[in-house]
Amino acid sequence: MTATCEKVIEKDSKKGDIMSGRVIVITSGKGGVGKTTTNANIGTALAKAGKKVVMIDTDLGLRNLDLLLGLENRIVYTIVDVVEERCKLKQALVKDKKNPNLCLLAAAQTRDKTAVTEEQLKNICEELQKEFDFILVDCPAGIEQGFQNAVAGASEAIVVTTPEMSAVRDADRIIGLLEAREEIKSYKLLLNRVRPNMIKSNDMMSVDDVVEILSAQLIGIIPEDTGIITSTNKGEPIVNDEKSLAGQAYRNVAKRIIGEDVPFLNLEEDTGVVAKVKKFFAGLIGKEK
Amino acid sequence: MKDIFTDLYNKVLGFFRQTEKKEEESAKEVACNRLKFVLMQDRTNLTPELMDRMRKELVELLSKYVEMDKEALELGFEQEGNQMALMLSIPVLRAKEEAEIEAVLAEEDAKKAEAEANKQENSEEENEESSEENETENEEESENEELEIEISEEETEITEESENQPSKKKTKTSKK
Repeated sequence: MTATCEKVIEKDSKKGDIMSGRVIVITSGKGGVGKTTTNANIGTALAKAGKKVVMIDTDLGLRNLDLLLGLENRIVYTIVDVVEERCKLKQALVKDKKNPNLCLLAAAQTRDKTAVTEEQLKNICEELQKEFDFILVDCPAGIEQGFQNAVAGASEAIVVTTPEMSAVRDADRIIGLLEAREEIKSYKLLLNRVRPNMIKSNDMMSVDDVVEILSAQLIGIIPEDTGIITSTNKGEPIVNDEKSLAGQAYRNVAKRIIGEDVPFLNLEEDTGVVAKVKKFFAGLIGKEK
Repeated sequence: MKDIFTDLYNKVLGFFRQTEKKEEESAKEVACNRLKFVLMQDRTNLTPELMDRMRKELVELLSKYVEMDKEALELGFEQEGNQMALMLSIPVLRAKEEAEIEAVLAEEDAKKAEAEANKQENSEEENEESSEENETENEEESENEELEIEISEEETEITEESENQPSKKKTKTSKK
């Protein structure tokens, strides 16, 4: 499969080397807020929209992006093999099962964060920019070397957070660090695992609260969705599920990245029994007029 | 008929709303407030102790110029878009007489001059004695001085701005 992937690249690279893809790092500070899920879904959605996308997993020693994409059995070479010149960059790119526009550069599972340097990652990104429209860098949790490496080659960032205190606090730290890096030209906030019912009952911070506290521009609101778990189990990103609300939300994020002006999904609409009764009575009162 | 129903509906709804309000702060409000407080500390590297010290020093400094309600002085950070603002709100009780202010300042100047004179005397004396023990003492002293200077720099930064606005004072620091 690496051979077919090479072909794709060769064919398109004939168009010229002037083409320069956008390198976007997906980061969060806190672990478990959905960085990798976001990466897999945005990547898949962008590829579905006809863009050429490569995803780089920089979480050395704790790789997971391959699992979410269902590509764990296809990995032959990793990013460390590329850096240590055991293979060419093109050989290490694993093509997606469904979409030929989508490739993965996997992390090494047996090595630690020191196996790849900032400079090396930067070079890899520059090389990939020639061939791809989008390079999505999956950043490890934390603010140590792994983060510094992942950010090195990027010019844009998506900060993933959830409406929980610890996640927002860590996102604030990450935003501070991103602002200090000159090469990062813009960063956007993606609010994951939003529970409209809890927000409505004032048990959880709302989207507006988080945006106000972090004073960052929003690129997506993803509702909490049990479908994420099943999609991970199947190794198939939820954007492929046309019925899923979270999938729809991720597709919208991809559209916004491309530059389309897509309104945010209305998650506040109540579908509970009480709301329906209320609506019914409101309708009756309205009719009497 | 319609009016009776809407009235009843509103009354019932109002009852529930009232009881909600009487309850303690919602989890969301608690989270927001705690987060804002903790982020302020994260962003400025100012612990509650340091904030308290800053507050005390500001009271001391500003009370030379205005008579204010020292207990009601509010000091905190506020977010304004991408900018963080240090907000200082002081209820002014009474404007001081010009002579009053000058007297306080003159007294302070005199104290400063005296302290400087003492320092010079001390250094002269120390210069005369050139034992090793004295040298180490000098080093310690100079370290202390450095600390004092750092703090006074912060003070001047705040007062420069605060002199422009007598009752509400604001100093902007860029977000880290």
